[in-house]
Amino acid sequence: MTTAEAILTAVTWWGVIGGIVAVVFLGYGIDRIDEDADGAFVFRPLLVPGIVVIWPLVLWRWYCLASGRDHWAHRHRPRRHRHRIFAYAMPIAIVAVIVAGLAVRQSWPDHIAPERLSPPAEDSQ
Amino acid sequence: MSRKETPFFVGYLPLPRGLGGFVALVSVALVALFAAAALLIGGTQDAPQDAAFRFDYGRQTVTGVVELTPYPLLRVTEGNDLIPPGKTLMMTAAGKSGVDMRAMGLEGKLAQVSGVVLERGTIDMIQLRGGRRGIQAAEGEAPAMQTEPLGRWRLAGEICDGKCLYGAMRPGRGLAHKACANLCIIGDVPPVFVTTQPVEGQDFMLITGPDGTRLPKEAYDFVGQFVTLEGDLERRGDVLVLRLDTPTIALVDG
Repeated sequence: MTTAEAILTAVTWWGVIGGIVAVVFLGYGIDRIDEDADGAFVFRPLLVPGIVVIWPLVLWRWYCLASGRDHWAHRHRPRRHRHRIFAYAMPIAIVAVIVAGLAVRQSWPDHIAPERLSPPAEDSQ
Repeated sequence: MSRKETPFFVGYLPLPRGLGGFVALVSVALVALFAAAALLIGGTQDAPQDAAFRFDYGRQTVTGVVELTPYPLLRVTEGNDLIPPGKTLMMTAAGKSGVDMRAMGLEGKLAQVSGVVLERGTIDMIQLRGGRRGIQAAEGEAPAMQTEPLGRWRLAGEICDGKCLYGAMRPGRGLAHKACANLCIIGDVPPVFVTTQPVEGQDFMLITGPDGTRLPKEAYDFVGQFVTLEGDLERRGDVLVLRLDTPTIALVDG
């Protein structure tokens, strides 16, 4: 299996699982964790693309809310204390990615000349 | 006790005194930073060559002999001012697809093709119109076409998809174009090998698998990167065809 095939297979399975999660969550789960969704159906197809992309997070939040592990006060607490970290980390990461990309970039191998290893056969079509 | 007023920015209120200089400094610094970054990063990129769709030439219709390498070539026998007889054209369809299925029944026969030309230097490709308007059997006896074997070669360069390289995209090569090139090649767009130095007067050649097969899947991981490889070379009209010996392909260090 080539790298491209492996990536395509992984993305395909991610999408398939996400589709299953979307069907089960929107058809069954959402009514049990969000009382405002009870009896409302038209908006649900709009959530499908998002659920397909972030289905592990959907499953985690569904579990937290359904099992009573959710702490709404914590969930809504602003994460401002982490903003400074990310403010420094993001530009450093961007520069690091660019520098790393340039560092591993190949050079056009114009020093390698074409070499004929064996002469042409006599016959032609 | 005196208390120093600290300016506090609120988005929907006028800018507080004392913050004007800071905002101006940050604004100028950001513009300068991004301009410098754009110059530096842009300076590391190779300039795209002069290659493009030539819609300005108008639709071209020529007749020739279809050869399958397995990627279809047209050996032009009745050309026009732009595409003279004796020229060899690679053929592709719209989007990321080739014309293999449409050309399959015409191998060794005369066919009339019609479409728009992609041009990169002296190398041409033609993107066919849809259906029979793009390629159809032509009246007449197909003349015999010569294939000139050129021996076995070891070459360095890059495997690209022919369509993007010839001007469908700019740049149409390199690592950033790898995924696009692979999708084109999977869709049967003719793959092309760009050599580091001219071979028999050509910098580009059609590349296929061994023994008349398509480019093998093992080569997909090397597309868009600089490689060395070996294969048997032949000349069909003014196009070179390289038959890749798959196990010999390797990335160039550095």
